[in-house]
Amino acid sequence: MRRILPKRGGWLLLFAAVFATLFAAACGGDDDDTPASTAAGGATTASGAATKPVTIGFLYVGAVDDGGYNQAAYQGQLAVEKLPNVKVIKAENVPESAEAERVMEQMIQQGATIIFPTSFGHLDPAIKVGEKYPNVTFLHQGGLKTSKNVGTYFGASWEANYLAGIAAGKVTKTNKLGYVVAFPISQTLLNINAFELGAKSVNPAVTTTVIFTATWCDPAKIAESVKSLKDQGVDVLNQHQDCPGAGIQAAEKAGMFSVGYHVDDSKLAPNGWLTAATWDWTKLFVDLVNQVRDGTYKVSQVRQSMADGVVKLAPFGKAVPKDVQDLVLATQKKILSGELEIFAGPVKDQGGTEKIKAGAKQPPVTELETMNYLVEGVIGKIPQ
Amino acid sequence: MTIAETVRTRIGAPAFGGPQLLGPFVRFGLAIGAAIAVFSVVLLLDGTNPLDTVQLMWDASVGTEFGRNEVLVKLIPFGLCALAVAVPARVGLINVGGEGQFYIGAWAAAGAILYSGAPGPALIPLALVAGALGGGAWAGIVALLRVKGGVNEAISSLLLNFVAIQFVNYFVYGPWKDPSGPNWPFSAKFPGSAMLPVVWGDRVTLAIVFVAVGLVAMFLVLRYTRIGYEARVVGGNPLAAERSGIPVARYLFLAMVVGGAIAGIAGMAEVTGIQGRLRPGISVNYGYIGFLAAWLGGHRPLGILLAALLFGAISVGGDSLQLGLDLPGSTVNILMALILFAVLAGRKNRTGVGA
Amino acid sequence: MSFVTSVSTGAIRAGTSVMYASLGEVIAQRAGIINLGVEGCMLAGALAGYIVTAETGSPYAGIVAAFVAGGLLATVHAFLVVTRGANQLASGLALMFLGLGLTAFFGRPYVNDQITPLRDYPVPMLSEIPYFGPVLFDHDPLTYAVFPLAGALWWFVFRSRWGVMLRAVGESTESAFAAGLHPARIQYAAVAFGGALAGLGGAQISLAYTATWVENLTNGRGFIAVALVIFAMWNPLRAMAGALLFGGAVALQLQLQARGVGVSPFLLDMTPYLLTIIVLLAWAQRGQDAFPAGLNKVFRGTG
Repeated sequence: MRRILPKRGGWLLLFAAVFATLFAAACGGDDDDTPASTAAGGATTASGAATKPVTIGFLYVGAVDDGGYNQAAYQGQLAVEKLPNVKVIKAENVPESAEAERVMEQMIQQGATIIFPTSFGHLDPAIKVGEKYPNVTFLHQGGLKTSKNVGTYFGASWEANYLAGIAAGKVTKTNKLGYVVAFPISQTLLNINAFELGAKSVNPAVTTTVIFTATWCDPAKIAESVKSLKDQGVDVLNQHQDCPGAGIQAAEKAGMFSVGYHVDDSKLAPNGWLTAATWDWTKLFVDLVNQVRDGTYKVSQVRQSMADGVVKLAPFGKAVPKDVQDLVLATQKKILSGELEIFAGPVKDQGGTEKIKAGAKQPPVTELETMNYLVEGVIGKIPQ
Repeated sequence: MTIAETVRTRIGAPAFGGPQLLGPFVRFGLAIGAAIAVFSVVLLLDGTNPLDTVQLMWDASVGTEFGRNEVLVKLIPFGLCALAVAVPARVGLINVGGEGQFYIGAWAAAGAILYSGAPGPALIPLALVAGALGGGAWAGIVALLRVKGGVNEAISSLLLNFVAIQFVNYFVYGPWKDPSGPNWPFSAKFPGSAMLPVVWGDRVTLAIVFVAVGLVAMFLVLRYTRIGYEARVVGGNPLAAERSGIPVARYLFLAMVVGGAIAGIAGMAEVTGIQGRLRPGISVNYGYIGFLAAWLGGHRPLGILLAALLFGAISVGGDSLQLGLDLPGSTVNILMALILFAVLAGRKNRTGVGA
Repeated sequence: MSFVTSVSTGAIRAGTSVMYASLGEVIAQRAGIINLGVEGCMLAGALAGYIVTAETGSPYAGIVAAFVAGGLLATVHAFLVVTRGANQLASGLALMFLGLGLTAFFGRPYVNDQITPLRDYPVPMLSEIPYFGPVLFDHDPLTYAVFPLAGALWWFVFRSRWGVMLRAVGESTESAFAAGLHPARIQYAAVAFGGALAGLGGAQISLAYTATWVENLTNGRGFIAVALVIFAMWNPLRAMAGALLFGGAVALQLQLQARGVGVSPFLLDMTPYLLTIIVLLAWAQRGQDAFPAGLNKVFRGTG
């Protein structure tokens, strides 16, 4: 009846033959391709080594053209590629798991001595791989801990969101702003809170309604969230998603204003575009690479801000009146000069509890990055 | 049809030998060749040299010691998830729920490690038991629905995958979120004593032994025990089995639960061997790839081993396409699907159903 | 807008793509072929529609392309399972991976592109009716088309001569062949048509709902469609209801959040699957009348 069976036997034999050969070869001890030997060679310790060829690896959790988070980091990669004597290798869609460890090791085998793991979940794998390759430097995006050769960097995107909040608070006609957010993590909560604080600084009546979509990139769900906000009278949209394009288009279609994130998407919303908090990693990446190459890099948690140019405010759309633009730019100057601290006390959470005491200065960035509450004026609950 | 006939037609004669061995080899060569040819066309459309691609994938997966070790790392989830499909398959049940059982196993193991308060040395055995129980219980729902409720197991197990993923999300975003962490959807980190020791290379953990034990046990049980014999009869012809006094419902139930337990152990091995904590997205389609591997391996121990190795090699080699040729990360999905199609098309099956 | 109006409108918007896909899968499964690769067909349709729209400027050309692309991809499945007798579940899963890979590969140049979207056409007068107006009469053409399509398919399956043939093949290819039909042809047509409808479902997302292409745009909606077919017991009108229920679950969690009500998206996202299992159980208790007998072969093979 089932004549396939003998054929399957043939299959097995062939597989068996192939793999038996290979694994036998593995045990035979051909040491010429041991990974560690390639890795150690490229260590950069002495100064003046900047001209020595170096290979740099970039890991992304999504696609580098997602029009968002990963694309912003990829722009930084492109700047690094232009440096002399630099070879860049990249891997996208690297899950935050064993795959990440393997990809980093494969990069090291290809000679990489500097690795940029750009997703939060790549941190633990980087630390693990780092223990094995002490001569490789890992520069992790957004991480909150370091090891001997794993440092981190990030930028205060919330500063730009505070400014966007000012613009939003000024242009809203309904006093209702909306924020479509992937997940309730500290970085998203910081952005939401800064946005509401900025809006409230110019318009005490304004509220921000939050929707958590529970996915980093599902354009259909984002579009539906925008419509749900619109139904509630929200007329300004902000987002913290990896792919904000669909939301911006939906907002434009619904006649709402929109604030972008990660990259400048103003072309998607010719009428309603306000501005965006965008990343410019180019200078920071190049600086970090140069430091590692000439041996001056010290493992640390680099936190840059608008003042350093890592976070930028995208050009205003025509929906932002001139006086509002001036107000935003004036406030930006105050932030840049340190005159204005966004999270200086008092900051109250939704229940009215003072999370940052009145008169207190703004907590250090690494402390802010553990924020776990929404401020007064934000409507919505952190799902538990 | 007698029981003996059933068994013979169902399980087949010896896996090796047979008069026409050359045919399958030619067929296999053609299938792989066709897959690579179509893949080459796709690559050429993108302006990439297919020869470089194949060379690179080979080098990265089986051409280096590192690559071979990484294939073994992949063998752990692929092999266990394939076994989770193969065991129920022997009694004629289709388990498409490996993905969900994997998640629940990981969840249960994490719960045992973080919240049992057990002393360090007890953690690994405890997590193993918890993982097996978790996966087994999840599959037990499927088995109960099938045996008591008459609900098809292929469908219910598939549906429960999506429930399991959300179930784990609920915990890592809510009650189990690391209180000392930056509000990220991670459980607390496991203590070092809960981590599986590495037994080979840098990342091949003790779980590779689970795979070996599972495969050998399946072989021995099927070949030498009464349980194995009766299971095959149930899989071949449940009615005949019932008539000859074999407790069919019990076999169906047990096979499904054992399959789920194996997938649960795979989940446990992932969190205690690789991740060190529970987090969302721990499975990269392991359950589905395990299903395909089990099918490709004919639900037999040796076949599963080889098919899991093949998938491991493809997935390890796939990354090199990005690193070496700057191809998009998704390219490897195309190659994997093409190889499967080639094999599917090359294996003429009279019944139209597949085995 | 009132809460009910908002959720109902949202249910239709969010449910349409899944409705197309599950209607298509109803037809395929009625012919005795299950296609787990619906997700891949949806992605193929979404991308093909997007590319053609981007290149020609016409979303209607895009719709045609989506229909063709979804159908073509499904034809691969039909070839494998009908002509080569391959395992249906394995072939379907492989098709899912192929769709995912191919669309990611060929879609790269189009991420961040902009297209002329398939826009909403409010029906004059009717869309002004309180409550019902905005729910039913303010959508894009693909959404308008799906409801009559569901009705037409119901008539086709249960009332037309063609439907009798389709169901006969789904019950038993041997008897159908003995009755003088060409089971293989009918199965090919059913699977290809199913994939084509899934392609339209994908196009509804990429051309109308979001006007966007990103990798993995459909986010698992193809699997939901397969689940819904079973939930619907292979009845097109029930599939329509199931898709609305799914859309409603999505809309409900977002609308509640927009009103400041905290809901766990995780628990709500489970509900469509749990409901399907409950429906399966209820139906199983009454005997599996609606189950195309041909599918039993798939489910009773060894995988």
